[in-house]
Amino acid sequence: MPEDAPLLQITDLSIRFGAAATNLVDGVSLSLDRGETLCIVGESGCGKSLTALALMGLLPTPPARLMSGTAMFEGRDLLSLSLQELQNVRGDRMAMIFQEPMTSLNPALKVGEQIAEAVRRHKGVSRDAARNRALDMLQKVRIPAPEKRLDEYPHQMSGGMRQRAMIAMAMANDPALLIADEPTTALDVTVQAQVLDLMRQLQDESASAMIMITHDLGVVAEMADKVAVMYAGRIVEAGPVAAVFENPQHPYTIGLMSSMPSLGDRSGKLVTIPGIVPPADAMPEGCRFVSRCPFAQPGCALAPPMREFDRGHAVACWRAPLETGVDAPSPEIAGAA
Amino acid sequence: MGKPDLIIETRALRRRFVTHKPLVGAQTEVRAVDGIDLRIRRGETFAIVGESGCGKSTLARLLVRLIDPSEGSVIYDGTDISRISADKMRGLRRDLQFIFQDPFSSLNPRMTVGALVEEPMRAHRIGTRRERRARVAALLERVGLMPEHANRYPHEFSGGQRQRIGIARALASGPKVLIGDEPVSALDVSIQAQVVNILEDLKQEFGLTLIVIAHDLAVIRHMADRVAVMYLGEIVEEAPVAELFTAPRHPYTEALISSIPVPRVGARAGVATIDGEPPNPIAPPPGCRFHPRCPYAQAVCRAERPKLTRGPDARSVACHRHAELSLTGLAPDIAARSPEAEQRFSLYRAARATREGAKPSGSFPQPLTPDKE
Repeated sequence: MPEDAPLLQITDLSIRFGAAATNLVDGVSLSLDRGETLCIVGESGCGKSLTALALMGLLPTPPARLMSGTAMFEGRDLLSLSLQELQNVRGDRMAMIFQEPMTSLNPALKVGEQIAEAVRRHKGVSRDAARNRALDMLQKVRIPAPEKRLDEYPHQMSGGMRQRAMIAMAMANDPALLIADEPTTALDVTVQAQVLDLMRQLQDESASAMIMITHDLGVVAEMADKVAVMYAGRIVEAGPVAAVFENPQHPYTIGLMSSMPSLGDRSGKLVTIPGIVPPADAMPEGCRFVSRCPFAQPGCALAPPMREFDRGHAVACWRAPLETGVDAPSPEIAGAA
Repeated sequence: MGKPDLIIETRALRRRFVTHKPLVGAQTEVRAVDGIDLRIRRGETFAIVGESGCGKSTLARLLVRLIDPSEGSVIYDGTDISRISADKMRGLRRDLQFIFQDPFSSLNPRMTVGALVEEPMRAHRIGTRRERRARVAALLERVGLMPEHANRYPHEFSGGQRQRIGIARALASGPKVLIGDEPVSALDVSIQAQVVNILEDLKQEFGLTLIVIAHDLAVIRHMADRVAVMYLGEIVEEAPVAELFTAPRHPYTEALISSIPVPRVGARAGVATIDGEPPNPIAPPPGCRFHPRCPYAQAVCRAERPKLTRGPDARSVACHRHAELSLTGLAPDIAARSPEAEQRFSLYRAARATREGAKPSGSFPQPLTPDKE
């Protein structure tokens, strides 16, 4: 494997459920370098969590069906691994942090045992060495009195402490890739700030790459190197975080940003995105944002491809950049497609 | 200076809950709301902010007597509603309406939307059947739904639409005060923005007083005129919204504000925040309840509980050291955007306005008068 290959390269990932007529994740391509943080941002049902679960091999199939795609990670395609191979990768080279630590930690196992188990499973070390590693990790995630916490059960910890314990478990084997699905959404704002600080610091020390799934553009701005904005199963805009925030291109990205209440002096009403995400059985044929887009034209019935217009910054919209007044392709062409 | 026109006032309001009652020995209690004095002015949007377990939802319910206080009083428009009979209270409920956080559990799934919105009018004997039906249709339209939706059931609607139904229902009796307990926090950003706008429009149209309980500081910054910050059952600071965010006076407010993830690259990088989590409310720390987490705590803070004191400038703070501390708030340019982003936002706004222009904005019908009057 060449040194300059990306750590993870997802190509054309599409996922469908049961006999549905549309893909809930549709043609998603992403790449991630070593040590990099990619945030996938979008609203409920946009497919961001499905993408993460697919990478971890945690999608129940059926009902989920993998329609297309590869996810090359350290020379292997994650989407075609056997269960045995997956189990060897998960928790070792790649680990996951979930939103709700109470449901993802085993309530019947002491916290120290859970972390030690992950170490023993993959590193084959002695019980004592694994326990020491667990203690190390609890210290690293700055849990007070770690010796005592090792022998506590998850329910004895607060929400913030549980999330730290989850992070300790995920990082115990120095994974090359960490996938975090809304890791701070259930936490209070002051605790969220602590956990985000901690994740950033651990990531700096360990050089792990991270995919972080979030709905919060504030969290994106703080954590991401790169960001992918998803809407209704597709990536509509992706690029370096500063480029996407300072030079947003897709009407959905712009609408999402202008829907957020500002922290400065208020300047009138929020400028909203009208309507709601179309249900899966009524998904528009072309651009999926067309039913809510104030810039939509008949030609948008033809799906716009992702096109890169600046280093690493790509958008899937015929009409971007909006100020140039460029039109979508003529409806006849769109109709013929 | 004239006295502000108060619509709701609380005096030394307390509410305890028994959490554990053993066969013998003392029971454990949590003092969810522990001595709160609030003065809410007619027509303002007043926000109560705090983290989980600080007692903000209990306080909201006390304000409209969905639960009874253990001590103290709540005065609505000159009447102490904590002392009146249930019968009298029922009459006052017309004026005081509540919007719940979870649009999935706060609407009876067996009732049609029309029946749900009509119910408060029936309960208060407002209008004839026909007038009520007409008003249901008007209310649904006003919150962005369609009159035909009256015949459907809540499960047929999305979260944002259900919250609109909840708002229509709350408005049906023609209230003067609307209290929302996290009214938009279960909603996605784009839907949240729509509901925030509806609440603000309705407030203007009806001259409502809006009380918003929330943990999302950006929503509060946008909606509120004045804000009270709660910590472990107490109010630690109260101030007009702009001052609170740019120049906090309580260390907890400072910590909250510095913890906000700001949607601007490089805006909050490396700001130290407070350690730990709120302590167990069953056994709050002595002295100032915030002192175990406070970076500025001194001996006095560990021993004496500070009182919320009103300054000459309409701000209140409960901190022994507030006069000597100079705390950090949000920078004045926190919401500044790049020229490119600014340009795209105005294009977006203009395009939205053009497409909206085709639709009539729809004015609201006057509230119906009750039969009795």
